[in-house]
Amino acid sequence: MRILLDHFSKSFGSVRVIDDMTLEIKDGEMLALLGPSGCGKSTTLFAICGIHKVTSGRILFGDRDVTNVSSQERNVGVVFQSYALYPHMTVRENIAFPLRIRSLPEAEIKRLVNEMAGLVHIGSLLDRRPAELSGGQQQRVALARALVRRPNVLLLDEPLANLDAKLRLEMRSEIRRIQLETGITAILVTHDQVEAMSMCDRIAIMNNGQIIQIATPQEMYRNPRTAFVAGFLGNPPIAFIDAVARDGMLAVENADIRLPIPREADRVPEGTPVVVGIRPENLGTEGDAAIRGRVSFIETQGRENLYDITLANGKVLRSIQRVRDDVSLHDEVEWRVRSDQLFLFAQNGERL
Amino acid sequence: MTGHLKSWPFVLALSIISAPIVLMYSYLFIDTITNSPPGSFIPHEFTLEHWRFLWETRPGKPSIWRVTLNSFLFASSSCLVVLVVSSTAGYVLSRLNVPGRAFFLAGVMVLHAFPAVTLIVAIFLVLQMVGLYNSLIGVILVKAAIDMPLGIWIMKGFYDTVPWEIEMAGIADGASRFTVWRKLVLPQVKPGLFALGLFAFLLGWSEFILPQVLAPGGDVQVLSVYLAGLIADDNNFDMAMFKSVGLFYIAPVLILFLFFQKYLMNIYGGGTKG
Amino acid sequence: MSASRDIVEAAAVPAGAAAASAHPPRWRAGWLNSSRGLGLILLMPALVLVVLFFLMPVVLTGVFAFTNMSTATGISGGTYQVTPGALRELADRHGMDELAEKLGQPSFVVDEQGLKALEEMGIEPAIIADLREGHLGETHASRREFERMLRDLPERPDTRTVKRISGEFSRSLANSRFSSRESLLAAAEGVDPELTEEEKTALVQATYTGWVWTADNFRRMASSRDTVRILLNTIFFVATTLIIFNTAFAMLLAITTHYIPERPAGIFRIIWFLPRISPAVIYVLLWKWFAWDTGFLSAFLDNFGIRPRNWMLDTAANAWFFVIVINGFVGASMGMVIFSSAIKAIPESLFHAASVDGAYRWQQVRHIILPQLKWPILFVTCYQTLSLLTSIEQTLLATDGGPGGATEIWSLAIYHTALNNYAGNLQYGYGAAMALVLVVIGIVLSLIYLRVFNYRALVAKPRIEL
Ligand SMILES: Nc1ncnc2c1ncn2[C@@H]1O[C@H](COP(=O)(O)OP(=O)(O)OP(=O)(O)O)[C@@H](O)[C@H]1O
Ligand SMILES: [Mg+2]
Repeated sequence: MRILLDHFSKSFGSVRVIDDMTLEIKDGEMLALLGPSGCGKSTTLFAICGIHKVTSGRILFGDRDVTNVSSQERNVGVVFQSYALYPHMTVRENIAFPLRIRSLPEAEIKRLVNEMAGLVHIGSLLDRRPAELSGGQQQRVALARALVRRPNVLLLDEPLANLDAKLRLEMRSEIRRIQLETGITAILVTHDQVEAMSMCDRIAIMNNGQIIQIATPQEMYRNPRTAFVAGFLGNPPIAFIDAVARDGMLAVENADIRLPIPREADRVPEGTPVVVGIRPENLGTEGDAAIRGRVSFIETQGRENLYDITLANGKVLRSIQRVRDDVSLHDEVEWRVRSDQLFLFAQNGERL
Repeated sequence: MTGHLKSWPFVLALSIISAPIVLMYSYLFIDTITNSPPGSFIPHEFTLEHWRFLWETRPGKPSIWRVTLNSFLFASSSCLVVLVVSSTAGYVLSRLNVPGRAFFLAGVMVLHAFPAVTLIVAIFLVLQMVGLYNSLIGVILVKAAIDMPLGIWIMKGFYDTVPWEIEMAGIADGASRFTVWRKLVLPQVKPGLFALGLFAFLLGWSEFILPQVLAPGGDVQVLSVYLAGLIADDNNFDMAMFKSVGLFYIAPVLILFLFFQKYLMNIYGGGTKG
Repeated sequence: MSASRDIVEAAAVPAGAAAASAHPPRWRAGWLNSSRGLGLILLMPALVLVVLFFLMPVVLTGVFAFTNMSTATGISGGTYQVTPGALRELADRHGMDELAEKLGQPSFVVDEQGLKALEEMGIEPAIIADLREGHLGETHASRREFERMLRDLPERPDTRTVKRISGEFSRSLANSRFSSRESLLAAAEGVDPELTEEEKTALVQATYTGWVWTADNFRRMASSRDTVRILLNTIFFVATTLIIFNTAFAMLLAITTHYIPERPAGIFRIIWFLPRISPAVIYVLLWKWFAWDTGFLSAFLDNFGIRPRNWMLDTAANAWFFVIVINGFVGASMGMVIFSSAIKAIPESLFHAASVDGAYRWQQVRHIILPQLKWPILFVTCYQTLSLLTSIEQTLLATDGGPGGATEIWSLAIYHTALNNYAGNLQYGYGAAMALVLVVIGIVLSLIYLRVFNYRALVAKPRIEL
């Protein structure tokens, strides 16, 4: 079901947490709400499921305006970071709870619970209590409970944050698989860009209660709208250096570096101070501009190495390259970058 | 536990200052089943005669079993009322957005600290006016009301520890707030209910001044009033018998206390905090 | 996107799941679902108890404090009784000696009312006629005089008839009882038809046996020497017990149990909890056994040639000693538990650091433990002041305020005034006035207590906005 937040705002007392947000989630899509801690992701989620009242604006499920519909009637499935399983109930009772509330016949409940348990692969755990399950298993139970009543939308609030790295990888693909199999519309709240990029059809990136950009992961990575977006996506993260437009080139002060202005960038008037973003994978052996610096740190990652190079003005850029034997710590190097892979931002962070 | 000094001086000091208590409680046991020669405290014979009161009812006094039943009814009913009131009101104060919540919470704290005994004159007159004087119902309600603020406070503390996400999940699952409380939250505070129930029962079992003032009659007498009456009766001074009745009366308290001392100490320490 | 669509089509979506969404959640009444509605309903039992047993008694304590209710007046309305006492009051307080005398004297008045009654009784009409013609309006000061007059009538009625007649003309008010003000005044006007309004009011006031509104209780309290003595007793009791036992001794227990291994520490904690957990009646009984003239202390000291006696009640000083120790042992355990948990909360590393510094234990206590106990001590002090101020059970059972009122404290005085005393005259009004003083102190102290323990911090905003 399509979900639409229409000029939605939320204040707690006098503090405005979400400011005039408009966001559409298409039917059957999985959208990531990505942003730093405290930017209002959970608040948005709570507004969608009706636990918080909206201060202004509307929320539509399909064509139905649910702004003033109670949470119970919205039929929203929620998976919390802490899973919020009911500790005094067995797994079976947990999954059956939403159905019991709806007074479904026992036989029907049993069948639906079993089917759902099969879907999330916990068929053998049905008679345990939550405390007797691993984190990943609890996560599956929470998913089953959220999905069993066929909700209009599935909301996931940092579902993977409490899992260890290996389980996180596993559950990432599991959640995606289940979402695809059920075809449910889903919103995933996360502050982990890898999660957002690997699991979702589209990403809505948030900061300070506003949506900065909505796009597919690829598009957003290739074409970030602001320095904030560029900085949020990518691991290791993009590096920024200050420069000034001079003679049709970008001069980095005190570093003896001159970079060409990317073709797609707007015209940059002479003397404008700008911020140049360079992704680590774009700094290497190929390109039309040269960057000189000293290797100040080498981090071995196995197949690749991560190099920090310190420019003459003290700024640090990162480069990720296959392991090279010809570079060692403290070497002076001159590496290259392609001008069409540079991101140019104004001082206020807007992309130029 | 740290420190570089030995701990035995402390043990010794504590033993000395604790001696009177140990002595008194030991003799509470010893004297009920032995006789000692006059002027001595070393028992010289075993006897059960001090327990006669169990099968012999004194003239003019109610039967001990009647009194025990009254005590039990009094303690368990007031405990039940406290549990019901505290489990509902505690939830409201912990979780629900009702007008005047902060005010009510402050009120509970004032009442909790408030000297209920000062109200006893007015309560006495009110019960007389409405005809509940000398009835168990009246004194049960009063006792429950007086223990209620602490109960609400304790239950609020327990409710505060239930994660909000559980309730949010319940609501998203389609349960009404009542169902959420009844089916999802209440089961999580069972330890709290147990501890409070135990505590309230013991408070009721031990209560003296309320039944003494509000329900002194023979039919509704509870153990504390009965025992105090025995002691105050100058014609029959029999310390060993008093102690036997006392031991009979205190036994449930001691047993419950020894089994559940952690719970109870926490309530005395933590429950009254704040 | 299109790929995922295909999977959706192909996937084994639980077929019945759609059915689940077809059933909307079953709805109970709306108020069970709103925070307000449910909140008010769940709060109702507590509110009822608060109103019935806290608010109403507080208000009524205030109300009763301004009455002279007592066993003599009863607690419901009274009647009007022309007792000798009432007449004395009329004379002494209102200066109406004449009226009092008139009302008090038995008087016999020959009036139409009495004559009618005679007719109904079937007395000889001749006698009635004689009385009407010769004596109507006469007043006789005594029965003897009146009866002599009757005997002297021409019909010479016999003694029995004389008695019957005189009964009908008796207009005395002495020792008669009236259920309402009107009937009292009507009867009084029979004796003295020229009653002034002032006299009526005084008469009603003096003869009323029920309770009345008055501020006398407070006047009496302010002027009574007993009040001062009881007040001083109370202050002495609260201050001494609080300082010696509830804080200092409790702290001693907490600190010493902190420095010994967990097992003995646990045992000592249990021992010191016994006084609190024990019903007061038994706990005090044990002390009585300890201090009785045939009790442990006496028998023990007998070995040293000290005469056995009831140590708890023989002198005021001893009585105070026992009252304070008995109450203090109960109070100490609360401080012990609170201080112990506060000490436990001190990070281990602080102690280690101090040991390394070579600090001795008492320095540890002074520089590490005591500073951490500031708030717990304040809390215990606030809380226990109030409990001591109103504690009654232990003192009542131990000394009952004796010997000779030496250990009578405020709360006990309330009990003795209003609820139980040897004389049997329970002064509810005066007791309520004394209680009102405690109520006011209680409210003030608990408001301070609220201030100190900034309770607003405890009121977190609900996170579900339903
Ligand atoms: N009940 C509330 N009252 C006042 N402010 C609140 C309340 N709930 C949230 N906030 C504030 O709203 C902002 C957004 O909170 P929210 O929980 O939505 O952040 P988030 O993006 O989910 O962060 P995180 O990633 O840490 O979970 C925060 O600054 C938070 O302090
Ligand atoms: Mg969040």
